[in-house]
Amino acid sequence: MNLNIDAEKQNKYDAIVVGTGISGGWAAKELTEKGLKTLVLERGRDVKHIVDYPTMTKDPWQLPHAGKLSHEELKLYPVQSRTFWVNQANKHFYVNDLENPYTEIKPFDWIRGYHVGGRSIIWGKQTYRLSDLDFEANSKDGMGIDWPIRYKDISPWYDYVESYIGVSGRAEGLVHLPDGKFLPPMEMNCVEEVFRDQVSKKFDGRKVTIGRVAHVTSPLAHDPSRGVCQSRNLCDRGCPYGAYFSSNASTLPAAMKTGNMTLRPYSIVHSIIYDEKMGKAVGVKVLDAETKEEIDFFAPVLFLNASTLGSTFILLNSVSSRFPNGLGNASDQLGRNLMDHQYRAGAEGDVDGFEDRYYVGRRPNGIYIPRFRNVGKDKRTDYLRGFGYQGGGSREGWMRGVAELAFGADLKEALTTPGNWRFGITGFGECLPYSDNRVTLNKDKRDIHGLPTLSVDAEWKENEKAMRKDMKVAAAEMLEAAGFKNVKMYDGADNIGLGIHEMGTARMGLDPKTSVLNKWNQVHEVPNVFVTDGAAMTSSACQNPSLTYMAMTARAADHAVSELKKGNLK
Amino acid sequence: MNRREVLQRTAMVLGYAVSGPALAGILNGCKATPELAYKPEFFNENQARLISELAEIIIPKTTTPGAKEAGVPGFMDGMLKEVFPKEDQDMFLQGLTAFDKDAKETFGDSFVECEPADRVAHVKKHHDAALANSDDRGSAGWWNSGNAADKPFIVKFKELTILGFFSSEAGATQVLQYNPVPGPYKGCVPLSEVGKAWAT
Repeated sequence: MNLNIDAEKQNKYDAIVVGTGISGGWAAKELTEKGLKTLVLERGRDVKHIVDYPTMTKDPWQLPHAGKLSHEELKLYPVQSRTFWVNQANKHFYVNDLENPYTEIKPFDWIRGYHVGGRSIIWGKQTYRLSDLDFEANSKDGMGIDWPIRYKDISPWYDYVESYIGVSGRAEGLVHLPDGKFLPPMEMNCVEEVFRDQVSKKFDGRKVTIGRVAHVTSPLAHDPSRGVCQSRNLCDRGCPYGAYFSSNASTLPAAMKTGNMTLRPYSIVHSIIYDEKMGKAVGVKVLDAETKEEIDFFAPVLFLNASTLGSTFILLNSVSSRFPNGLGNASDQLGRNLMDHQYRAGAEGDVDGFEDRYYVGRRPNGIYIPRFRNVGKDKRTDYLRGFGYQGGGSREGWMRGVAELAFGADLKEALTTPGNWRFGITGFGECLPYSDNRVTLNKDKRDIHGLPTLSVDAEWKENEKAMRKDMKVAAAEMLEAAGFKNVKMYDGADNIGLGIHEMGTARMGLDPKTSVLNKWNQVHEVPNVFVTDGAAMTSSACQNPSLTYMAMTARAADHAVSELKKGNLK
Repeated sequence: MNRREVLQRTAMVLGYAVSGPALAGILNGCKATPELAYKPEFFNENQARLISELAEIIIPKTTTPGAKEAGVPGFMDGMLKEVFPKEDQDMFLQGLTAFDKDAKETFGDSFVECEPADRVAHVKKHHDAALANSDDRGSAGWWNSGNAADKPFIVKFKELTILGFFSSEAGATQVLQYNPVPGPYKGCVPLSEVGKAWAT
C-alpha cells in the first residue's frame, strides 16, 4: 500500500554488516551461521577468491618495469605509496588516493583497500594474542580508561578464531604473550637460530620465537578449500592456495555457504538511521557507488566493520536530534584516542660464517621477540609500556651487485652465489591513547560522491618518541650480543598511520561518560549497533591487532544473537 | 653512387642480402654499428645503441645470456619512459651524454665506435671512480629504504641493468635459479644442495 513500507519489507534483514575486511568477514560468518539473514555491505568492488587475483601466478618478467609503478600510476597513490609497497602486482588492492581524499592536519598515512576483503588481502598476517598485561595497562598507569574486559573474557574466542583461520606458531609459555591454537611453526634459518640462542643466553628471560602467522602449515580438517603455504611470499596478490587467511578465502565463503548472506558490493554506507521514537537504530543509508542511488536497508542488529576510521566516519556522520555530534557520542570520545603502532626503527648488521648454508623457499614470515620492556622486573623510567620486534636474517641477493667492485663476467659469476648473511629487526611499539589525537568530520571537503570526509589530527608524542629511541638501542644491543658485525641502528622516521594499525576512535569502556562502546562492543546508548573493528580498542598494546578484532567480533556476534533471542534488541 | 649504394647493388646482384649490422661494418670499416634488438620509444637510435652496448659490458653473454639477450635495453627504455619522472630522465640523459663525450675525448670515437677493449676500459674508469666516491650504504639486506637520487650515472645504469637482467626470464632462470612454488620453507640447508643463488 505504502511505498515506504514496501521498500522496508524488501530491504529488511535480520542483521546488517558494514564492511568485508578482517572483522566484517567474521561478523558475516558468525551471524549467518547462527541463522540470521544478513546483508553484508561493501563500499568497493567485489573480489572473488582466486578469480579476482589477476597477478597471483605472475613471474617477475611477466610484470612491467620489474613490478615498479609508472610515474603516471604513482600519481594515483600519493599516500598509499608512502609504504613503498604498492607495485604492479598489488596496486588493485590499494585505494586511489585522488578519489578518497582526507585532510592531514598533521601527517597521517591512511593506507586502505576498498573492495570485498579489504585489507585482509594485503595484511601482514602476524597473529598475536593480547594478555592481561595489555588489558590492565590503562588502569595501572592511568593513561586512558580501563578496558571493560580481561584476558579470560576473550581467551575462548582467541581459541575459536585461531582454530578456524589456521595460525602457525610455536608455544613459548609466556604469560604476557599467551600461546594459541597453533599449526606447526615455520622454520627459522641458521642465523636466526644463533640469534635466538644468544639472546636467550645473554638476556635473562628474553625469548626469540618464530613469527605467529595466519598461514596454513598443515591441512585444516574443517576447511579443505585452504591449502598449505608454498612459501612463494606473493601473498599481497591473493593466494591461489588460500594458504593465508583472508575474508575472501575463508569467512565470506563460509557465510555464503549458509545461504543466509546477501553480499552487496559498491554500497557506501554513509550513516545509520536512528528512530527517535523507538530509541534505536533501525538501518543504514547506502549510496550505490555505481548508480548513485540512495537506498535504505533495515535490520534489528547492525555491525560496523568498516575499519577504524571508516566506522568512525559513519558514526560521526549519523546525526539526529538525539545525537547531534554523531551516533552514540554523548561522551565526546568518538573520533578521539586514535592510536597506531610505530615501527621501522631498529638495527641491522652482518653475520659472519654460515657461507655454506642457505635456505629453500621465500618464507612469508620472520622472527618475533615478545615485549620485554616494563615486563616483570624490567622497569623503564623514560617511557610507559613496550614494544615487540619483528625481523630476520637472509643472504644478500643480486641487488648487492650494484655496490660490488666488479662488472662484466666477474660480476655475473659472483652473483650466482648468495651474498653474506644479514640480519635486521624493527620494533613494533605501543602508542598511548591521547584524547587530542583525533579525527573529525570535514564537511568542507567532499569526496567524489559528495560525502563529507575526515580530518586527521594526530602525532607521536613524548612517550612514543622515548620508546622509539630504545627500540633502536635495545635492538643494537641484542645484535651485538649475538656477535653480529657492523651493527647499525636505523630509523625510517614514519608518520602515525604507517603501521596500518589505526585504532581506538570508538573505544570500549565501562562508563558511557568516557567511552563509546560497552564490554560487548555495543554502542552504550544504541545497543543494537555493534562496532567490532579497530575502533573499539581501548589501548593499542604492541601486538599486531587483527586477531583481537576477529575474536572480539565472534564474541560480539554470539552476544548479539543471544540478546536477539532474549528479545533485548527488538 | 655512393659506397652504400654500391654495396647494396653488389649484394643484390650476388643474390643475397647483406644484413644490417654486417653492412654497417663494411661501411664503417672495422667499426660496426651494432644492431638494435628492440625498437626504442624513449631513446633515439644512437642512445639506444649506446645503452645496449654498455649494458652488455656490465652483464655480458658468457655460457649464459647477457644483458642484450635478456632484453635489458628494452627494459631500460621502458623504465626511462614510464617510471622515471622528468627530472630523473633528464639527469640520466645528461649522464649518458657526458659518458659518451668522455669516450670521444679519450679515444677519439663515440662509445659504440670504440674498440671492445677501450669500451671496457672506459666503463672501468667511470665505475671505479663512482664506487670510490660512494659511501658504504651498499645493499642493505632485509630493510632497504633505497633512496639514491644522487647516484653517479654509471651506478644508476648498473642498477638498472642488474634489475632488468635478474628480473628477466633468462637472468632469473638461466644465470640464477627460480622456483615459483618452493613448498614449505627449509631454513638451514647446505648450499651445495641448493646450488646457485635464488632469483627471488
